Amino acid sequence: MKTLKDFEEFYNTSLAADLEVLEQKRRQLVRKLLIIGAALLCAVIVVIFLVGRSQSDAPVLFLLPIVAAAAVGGLICKVASKNYVAEFKSFVIGKIVRFVDEDLIYEPNSCVRQSTFVLSKIFTTEPNRYKGDDLVHGKVGATRIMFSEVNAERVTGSGRNRHRYTIFRGLFFVGDFNKNFAGQTIVIPDTAELLFGRIGQTLQSLNVFRGQLVKLEDPEFEKDFVVYGSDQIEARYILSTSLMQRMVEFRKKAQRDVYFSFVGSMVFVAISYKRGLFEPRIFRTALDFEPIREHFEDLQLAVGIVDDLNLNTRIWSKE
Amino acid sequence: MLTAAIIIVVVALLIFVFIYNGLIAKKNRVKSVFSSVDVLLKKRYDLLPQLVATVKAYMQHERGVLAEITEMRAKAVSQKLSNDEQVDLDGKVTRMLGGILVAAENYPDLKANQNFLQLQRAMNEIEEQISAARRAYNAAVTDYNNAVEMFPTNLAARLMQYRIKKFFEISPQQREAVDAGKLLQS
Repeated sequence: MKTLKDFEEFYNTSLAADLEVLEQKRRQLVRKLLIIGAALLCAVIVVIFLVGRSQSDAPVLFLLPIVAAAAVGGLICKVASKNYVAEFKSFVIGKIVRFVDEDLIYEPNSCVRQSTFVLSKIFTTEPNRYKGDDLVHGKVGATRIMFSEVNAERVTGSGRNRHRYTIFRGLFFVGDFNKNFAGQTIVIPDTAELLFGRIGQTLQSLNVFRGQLVKLEDPEFEKDFVVYGSDQIEARYILSTSLMQRMVEFRKKAQRDVYFSFVGSMVFVAISYKRGLFEPRIFRTALDFEPIREHFEDLQLAVGIVDDLNLNTRIWSKE
Repeated sequence: MLTAAIIIVVVALLIFVFIYNGLIAKKNRVKSVFSSVDVLLKKRYDLLPQLVATVKAYMQHERGVLAEITEMRAKAVSQKLSNDEQVDLDGKVTRMLGGILVAAENYPDLKANQNFLQLQRAMNEIEEQISAARRAYNAAVTDYNNAVEMFPTNLAARLMQYRIKKFFEISPQQREAVDAGKLLQS
């Protein structure tokens, strides 16, 4: 496991030089964007002036150019910065991934497949808008892993009734579990118990979509998570006392909502993030250590799942 | 007035039906989990002859323990044991097995034997599954005992003459740390 100190050293020796080069490119990009922005602004002003001249009263005609300009501006921003983002990811993130573990492969434009996301059964709503990036995969010790940033949404209705619901946004991890099992066990954050205590438990047991409620013995674990499983004994076979403690520790370490599930002899971990991951900041300097450290810590958290959940202990029938 | 009284009686009856069915469901749950425990225990007893055969050639000093394990297995498989006797026997066998696996550490030849390694993995797995089944049984019993003891379900339980059940516990003897040395000398 690489420590923060190791990373600081790595940053000073390997990354700093690349970042200097990138910083120059970033400044060029910002200059380009500002010019485009100014041009758009002029265009908007001209259009509004013309609209004013035409003595038309409809306020929509004033808003329309502004909205259009904003949309066009946003699009141009994205397209123009594509190259810069790609370079940043390939040079900086790619290097950090290899620093964390040499055997890991980084694919900035791929993500965990939607079918895999749905297979985990962590979220009961099927997404109809699914995207992601920053895929990392490889073998850590005896465990094959794969993770990426994922943004899964469900959009319902159309026109005025269009409603966009975020199913999950954050880091989605898939790993080989160290025991063989046949059914499914889902472990999600326990909001009901927090709010309602015993009545909450009764409500949870009525949640038929999820399968049977599994009540476990570890009180700290029960406070943080609620478990649904297809089989009571199998759920306890997977969730040994030591694994439960590890999951509680992991959640404390991540300091955000964490969802687990165990399906098809694999473990799925979904860590909820409100911010985007592994993206460069375009309008601030690239030479700041803070955001780079954040990228490192995000990667460490994901790769560290193998050690945190003790997935490399292979003393049962699965090798 | 009359309609109000009828409604109250009907509601009371419905509540009683829910409670009654609930208690029966919990009792049956305990039974079904115990039978799963049974299945896993039998699986373990099936592995024992293989273990004894593989290990006997190497572990000359542990002959006594191995003979005992064989004996216990014969007992478990041939006779019809009560639930309590099953629990007791399970505890004994777990202790003995623990001792054997610990003692195996002293035999490098044995540790290099492929058969033994595979067996060790299989044994680890079955032990872990039995442990999971014990935990599931205790959870089912807790649920059932809660219903039998808590108000208002305890009223129905008293009517149905349901008593609280015992957990899958380790007896005080078995709680003593597995003394490998002692085991090896027997």
